[in-house]
Amino acid sequence: MKRLLLPLIAGIATGALVAFAAWAQAPTAEEIMRRSHLAMYYPGEDMRARVTMRLVSKDGGERIRGMVLSRRNLQEGGEQRYFIYFHRPPDVRDMAFLVWKYPARDDDRWLYVPALKLVRRIAASDKHTSFVGSDFSYEDVSGREPEEDTQKLLREEKAGGRDAYVVESVPKDAGSAEFSRKLSWIDKATWLPLKEEYYDRRGDLTRVFSAEELKEVQGYWTVVKRLMKNVQTGHWTETVLTDVRYKLKLSPDLFNERALRAPPSELIR
Amino acid sequence: MRRRLAPVVLAALVVGPAPLSAEELPLHGFLQAASAYRLIRPDRCPHTQRLACREEFVLGEGRARVEVEPRGERWALSAKGELIGDAVGGEVDGEFREGYLDLRFPALDLRLGRQIITWGVGDLIFVNDVFPKDWVAFISGLPLEYLKKGSDALNATGHWGGTSLQLVLIPRFEADTLPVAGGRLRFHDPMAAVEHRNTDDPSPALERTEAGLRLFRNVAGWDFSLYAYRGFFHSPGAEVEPGPRLRLFFPPLNVYGASVQGAALGGVWSLEGGSYDSRQDRSGRNPSVENSSVKLLGGYQREIVPDLTLAAQYSVQVMQDHDAYLSTRGPGMARRPAARHVLTLRVTQLLLHQTLKLGLFVLGSPNEGDFYVNPEVKYNLTDALWAALGVNLFGGPRRAEFGQFEGNSNLYAVVRYAF
Repeated sequence: MKRLLLPLIAGIATGALVAFAAWAQAPTAEEIMRRSHLAMYYPGEDMRARVTMRLVSKDGGERIRGMVLSRRNLQEGGEQRYFIYFHRPPDVRDMAFLVWKYPARDDDRWLYVPALKLVRRIAASDKHTSFVGSDFSYEDVSGREPEEDTQKLLREEKAGGRDAYVVESVPKDAGSAEFSRKLSWIDKATWLPLKEEYYDRRGDLTRVFSAEELKEVQGYWTVVKRLMKNVQTGHWTETVLTDVRYKLKLSPDLFNERALRAPPSELIR
Repeated sequence: MRRRLAPVVLAALVVGPAPLSAEELPLHGFLQAASAYRLIRPDRCPHTQRLACREEFVLGEGRARVEVEPRGERWALSAKGELIGDAVGGEVDGEFREGYLDLRFPALDLRLGRQIITWGVGDLIFVNDVFPKDWVAFISGLPLEYLKKGSDALNATGHWGGTSLQLVLIPRFEADTLPVAGGRLRFHDPMAAVEHRNTDDPSPALERTEAGLRLFRNVAGWDFSLYAYRGFFHSPGAEVEPGPRLRLFFPPLNVYGASVQGAALGGVWSLEGGSYDSRQDRSGRNPSVENSSVKLLGGYQREIVPDLTLAAQYSVQVMQDHDAYLSTRGPGMARRPAARHVLTLRVTQLLLHQTLKLGLFVLGSPNEGDFYVNPEVKYNLTDALWAALGVNLFGGPRRAEFGQFEGNSNLYAVVRYAF
């Protein structure tokens, strides 16, 4: 009993201290964006979800991209591996895409073309390229390092009925981003971005991200429905995640050429 | 090569009720129409190629493809068959393109049956990829996937601690599909006068099974491969026999090679080399058998701005025993240099949310002077329907690799509805 008491007291004291610290001062803009980055792109050690992207043009023309996305972290906030297996449209069915993401250098990317049984390396120098033609870029899918931007906490306000921090991000290297300024509304409760506004070099609003639906899955809050709208072209993309699962014990060794050529069933359904 | 479609239909019926997730149809495939209009009429054709001078279209056909791919936890089956209506030749044919069983074990992948196998890092330059190709489909303007043909093979890949070893055994030899006498494609034929020809049975006995080995591993983001192959040239050698009669045959060949590919300096770098050992003509003195040679390839690919990619390649093939080749070369045969240099450039621009693709591929040999140019526009009208319009332009000296196809240069159009 005594052995339990000490840690208990220590725990309560630490908790009280943390609560006091939080009350005493809001986290810095850097802390907010770091925590948001982890909450959005690193929850769980691994995850898998069915992803459906609806690409809608200004005149209402619609295209659907259906895939299974799997992710495995090598370190929290660090290296990651992604495997994306396409189910739709029929033109790209069974195509697979593998990404080894490094925080400090260009990703390694591979594409598997099933008709030719060909594994092809993809040049990954530009992270702003659209992902499968959607309004989301590669960077939006796998995250931009918060350290690449200068962060500033502007204010606190409600977004979609939730308490949020409003943070302004300005790229330290103007050439590293396709925006000159980004405003993020970060949910105080889950650290997930509720809304983002991207501004171009002239200061005009280009794209708006909104988290349409949050859901708690295995203890991890997840944006299961997200929207990216290009306000300049009127084109928008809705991404819906279903069958989200965390902690599947996906081995990092699954994310290799073998998986591209002969994908294991846990990465495709 | 072509098989009746019956096995595919049968397979479709058998696996139809297999358990699959509700939103996926168990049946896929496409309907495709393709046509290619000859842009450069050959000025004269030998008797054996008279169709090439007569036919305005090098391609005019419709295809229906059916694909069934049931899958379990540790196995998968894949069957792809086509029904082809050839409007130019006026015939209907079936083709069994792929049909294989995949079995997955903890450290071993097995693939049994007719399958496409692709090796190497080149873009339309093949060093270690010795597996069969359909050059007629390629020249005629069919989509690139038709360049690769299936092999009836056993394909086993073992994986140990990040290193993989692939073994390919092909008991039934499948030759490349090349323009032949009597076909509608124009090509350089030094033996055009000899109309009586026969081809040695390209399916050798079991002890002549082709074998390939590939050892591969990723080291720090770079893909390294070693290759070895023991089999045959996939394009035939030719020998005039008394009669006169032309005998076409597939000489034995060994290939040893290596490749590496990885990302650095904002782009993707590729390097590949291979040594071709022409086992039946190691002295290089047999004019009907290709000499031994060494092939090297280097490539660089980079996305300049979002959705605009540039890729360049250089390759060289150095013939061994070139002096012996020159002194034994028959009349009418191309006088090839000791080294053939080739440069390629590919530019790809994606537009309209990656639904419109503008592509340009240029291949040329600076020392032999032959070239191939392929501009193409491809548009995805909907998720299910795409259309492509392009040109295949061949040119250069009549006896050079691509120059001989000048008279097949074409404007092609392909429309595909996939389901």
